[in-house]
Amino acid sequence: MANTSTAPATSAAPAGTGPKADTTAGTGTKGPGRPPRRERQGAAWVFLSPWVLGASVLTLLPMAVSLYLSFTDYNLFDPPSWIGLRNYVQMFTEDPRLLRSIGNTLLYVLVAVPLQLALALAVALALKSMRRGRNFYRSAFYAPSLLGASMSIALVWRAIFNDGGTVDNLMSGLGFHIGGWVNQPGWALVSVALLTVWQFGAPMVIFLAGLQQIPQDLYEAAAVDGAGRWRQFASITLPMLSPVLFFNLVLQTIQAFQVFTPAFAVSGGRGGPADSTLFYTLYLYERGFTASHMGYASAMAWMLLLAIGIVTAVLFRTSRSWVFYANEEAG
Amino acid sequence: MPASRTRASCVAAVAIALCATLSGCGGGPSAAADGKVTLRFTWWGNADRAARTEKAVTAFERAHPSIDIQTSYSTYDSYKQKLATQAAGGDVPDLIQLDYRQISQYAGSDVLLDLAGQRKHLPTDKMDPALLRTGQVGGRQYALPMGIGTQTVAYDKKAWRAAGVKDPQAGWSWQDWVRALRKVKDDRGSYPMTDPGAAEDQFEIWLRGQGKKLYTKDGQIAFSAGDLARWWSFTSALRKEGLVSPATDTTQMSGSVEDAPMGREKSLAEFNWDAPSAGYEAMYGDRLALAPTPTGEDGTFGQYYKPSMLLGIASGSEHPREAAQFIDFFLNSDKAADILGVDRGTPVNSTQRRRVLSTVTGFQKQVARLQTSLQGKLKAPPAAPPRGDNGLQSTFQRDYDQVSFEKLSPREAAENFLTEARAELRP
Amino acid sequence: MSATAMPRQHRRIEWRRVALHGGALAVLLVLLYPLAWLVATSFKPADEVLASLALLPSRLATENYGTAAEGIEGVTLLQLFGNSLTISLGAVLGNVLSCSLAAYAFARLRFTMRGPLFAFMIATIMLPHHAVLIPQYIVFNQLGMVNTFWPMVLPKFLATDAFFVFLIVQFMRGLPRELDEAAKIDGCGPFRIFARVVLPLTRPALITTAIFTFIWTWNDFFTQLIYLFEPEKYTLTLALRTFVDTSSQSAYGPMFAMSVFALLPIVLFFLAFQRLLVEGMANSGLKG
Repeated sequence: MANTSTAPATSAAPAGTGPKADTTAGTGTKGPGRPPRRERQGAAWVFLSPWVLGASVLTLLPMAVSLYLSFTDYNLFDPPSWIGLRNYVQMFTEDPRLLRSIGNTLLYVLVAVPLQLALALAVALALKSMRRGRNFYRSAFYAPSLLGASMSIALVWRAIFNDGGTVDNLMSGLGFHIGGWVNQPGWALVSVALLTVWQFGAPMVIFLAGLQQIPQDLYEAAAVDGAGRWRQFASITLPMLSPVLFFNLVLQTIQAFQVFTPAFAVSGGRGGPADSTLFYTLYLYERGFTASHMGYASAMAWMLLLAIGIVTAVLFRTSRSWVFYANEEAG
Repeated sequence: MPASRTRASCVAAVAIALCATLSGCGGGPSAAADGKVTLRFTWWGNADRAARTEKAVTAFERAHPSIDIQTSYSTYDSYKQKLATQAAGGDVPDLIQLDYRQISQYAGSDVLLDLAGQRKHLPTDKMDPALLRTGQVGGRQYALPMGIGTQTVAYDKKAWRAAGVKDPQAGWSWQDWVRALRKVKDDRGSYPMTDPGAAEDQFEIWLRGQGKKLYTKDGQIAFSAGDLARWWSFTSALRKEGLVSPATDTTQMSGSVEDAPMGREKSLAEFNWDAPSAGYEAMYGDRLALAPTPTGEDGTFGQYYKPSMLLGIASGSEHPREAAQFIDFFLNSDKAADILGVDRGTPVNSTQRRRVLSTVTGFQKQVARLQTSLQGKLKAPPAAPPRGDNGLQSTFQRDYDQVSFEKLSPREAAENFLTEARAELRP
Repeated sequence: MSATAMPRQHRRIEWRRVALHGGALAVLLVLLYPLAWLVATSFKPADEVLASLALLPSRLATENYGTAAEGIEGVTLLQLFGNSLTISLGAVLGNVLSCSLAAYAFARLRFTMRGPLFAFMIATIMLPHHAVLIPQYIVFNQLGMVNTFWPMVLPKFLATDAFFVFLIVQFMRGLPRELDEAAKIDGCGPFRIFARVVLPLTRPALITTAIFTFIWTWNDFFTQLIYLFEPEKYTLTLALRTFVDTSSQSAYGPMFAMSVFALLPIVLFFLAFQRLLVEGMANSGLKG
């Protein structure tokens, strides 16, 4: 009995990891293990029931409405009117600012995500190898993330990265006369990205939690076998951490594509100077709520979902070659 | 299975409700119990306004024991989004404070009640008819102005006088203005004024000074790309001469005094509205002075009396009569006038205006003096901006960013602005 | 390991440790500078708050704290704290409960449509929330929940935070499957396995969920703004924004002071819970 029900789980590689992985998993399970036993199905639905209720009423329904709105002209106040694909066509033919926001967003993702993850991983690993003061360090490194992108942090950021601010003074001292960062088109995006990188606490804590889950005796066994620090890192830490690394990579990428609050805060909501920090969601928000084109904004949202979906699917596809799950090794 | 069927029907019920609300026929708010009428009143502002508003509301509730007013407030930027969401969700509060630029949208989409039906509870005979028109859309009165404000040049009196510039008087022209800036610059070495090119408000003053205007009667753009290109060429020349702030400072303006170059003590003068100029006081103390804005070369005034904000009633309100009584109390009564003072601009009711203006002190006295000095000189305010205008101010600022960072010529940016403005306006 | 090898290795570790601490402290100095700025600004007099580019105030202006401590019109600071706390703790409870339930099903149980449902769950994170804000508002309005805490708390009990479901899934999938098998042979059903075996072992993920939920809910401005109407129900995060109105005079000093007030509970929450992160596997007695 145990055999027939676990067989699919082990053979169907990363079952339940994502869109692509799952279609193959589904076809792969058409064997003796299917249909799963009714009793276990029932249990699964009990566990899922809060999620099903929330996902249908609070998520799926609003999503369906926004999908519908994306095919309409809707100004928030009057009933929406159906215009077919016009919003989608307009996005790519009549809106240079949208294209600009796509460029800004891609640049931001490429700058912020690798830097933030590298910093988070480096600090988490350093913390792990520390014996003393770990609590202190962990709290101190998390401290920047406590505030989120609040208005006070935005004001602090603008002060530090303005003309004559701390960064300007430091750079001038080193012989680089750049001036303010937040107020120059070439530098503003960097200052926003730095705000995100600075708040690396969330991925760091997740890395730490992941490191915590690696059984200590694996290292002990490796040490007995004579494996050095790098060998241990490459053959134990990295593979054992890979599910968590993968999680952070996927989620930080998704969140970076949707970057809103830091840019909203630092540029006062306009994406300036000269549109240099006009990110996709910032523009979406402006279209939807300031200019009252909620239909258009909804179309933008679904375009973004499509784009992120493709990127995520690619990440899930590559994950098969570098993410390792303990429950598969078991088989 | 039965469980999932109820779930499905629940989803269906909400879905139907969603569609009903989106198509504008959702259910209204529930009726009050115990015979007491509850009105929801929403507005934007700061802590001082909150204190005054609460006090006035309490006074009203004392006078009308059967009415209970539930207030809610947030800051302007948050307010706009919150109100739009409430409107879209079919949940608009009974009494809503509105900006001049929101009127057309909210009235045109039937969010606001035509006040004609409440005229007997809401006398407006003490209000200036020209100002009342700012709350009208298509000839119907949808909201009443809550206060009066006008544009001004806030400046550092001491620095200007030190440079040998006399305090500007009503009727000084744009050429006088440029001459004054040159003097202050020669004296100080740094730029004396904030670049006005980014603000549509200042463009409007300049345009009106030439006898033109932003919008036609039927809500179309009334100026040409050439007009706008000339304005931006004018301010760009000043910028290149070092008379107004560089792009890196101008771009940081967000509407708040503290983000503006004068608030950051980088320039010595700035265009602004009269009431918010109080924000400069913390930095400039009694050096702060207010001047009228420059006029066209033939002495035509561009600035005008504008409703600082307006108050309207939701069309879905179940108690329009009580709401009208509240507006009447808020705008016309002695009691409210004493409590509210000039917090939402100088009073609109002429009796209260005289009463209140005679008692003001400090900075408010300067505002009163400025408005009095312009009495009878200003042209009537324009009608409320047409639907679709609410996003254009930020578009204006954004396009000017392209000019001041020298990515586009004034002409190109002006063409861009007009293209977008024409697409946005939905009269 | 022989006794003679000990001293040499010991010295090398000491060196590495000094370098590690030195490096960590140097990085911290840079990272904490903006926070120091924030706290210092809360003590600046009104005319210096934004205009001054110096870190330290010219005099210690405690009046900002005085103003912030008064709360906002008609609502005391204590009440604002209470409201924020109610919402945040409710959200923590909801997320930990519902997300771990859903995650267990996705990570460990078999059911039809598991793949597509999982993909859908991930997809819900990909749609910018501004696009669903209005439909969600309508749902909560129809349910009569506007101007209550429910819109902030109820979704958490229904596992709508896919971020955390996915997080816990990833941790559960890291657990060796023999554990459940062993428990199953001992006659445990899925509920017992979940409660007795899987849940304790995913404690780091649950603690992480608790910490993030608390902090993120506490700081979430937009949801609270949209759903809370009466000032009596306002939270600290909403209240501190009322100090800054671009259309009238702002009070930036008290806003910074209020930010420091608002920071205290999340600091305490983090300090209390992060200790639990260290435990987890170490104490669980799990072998690889």
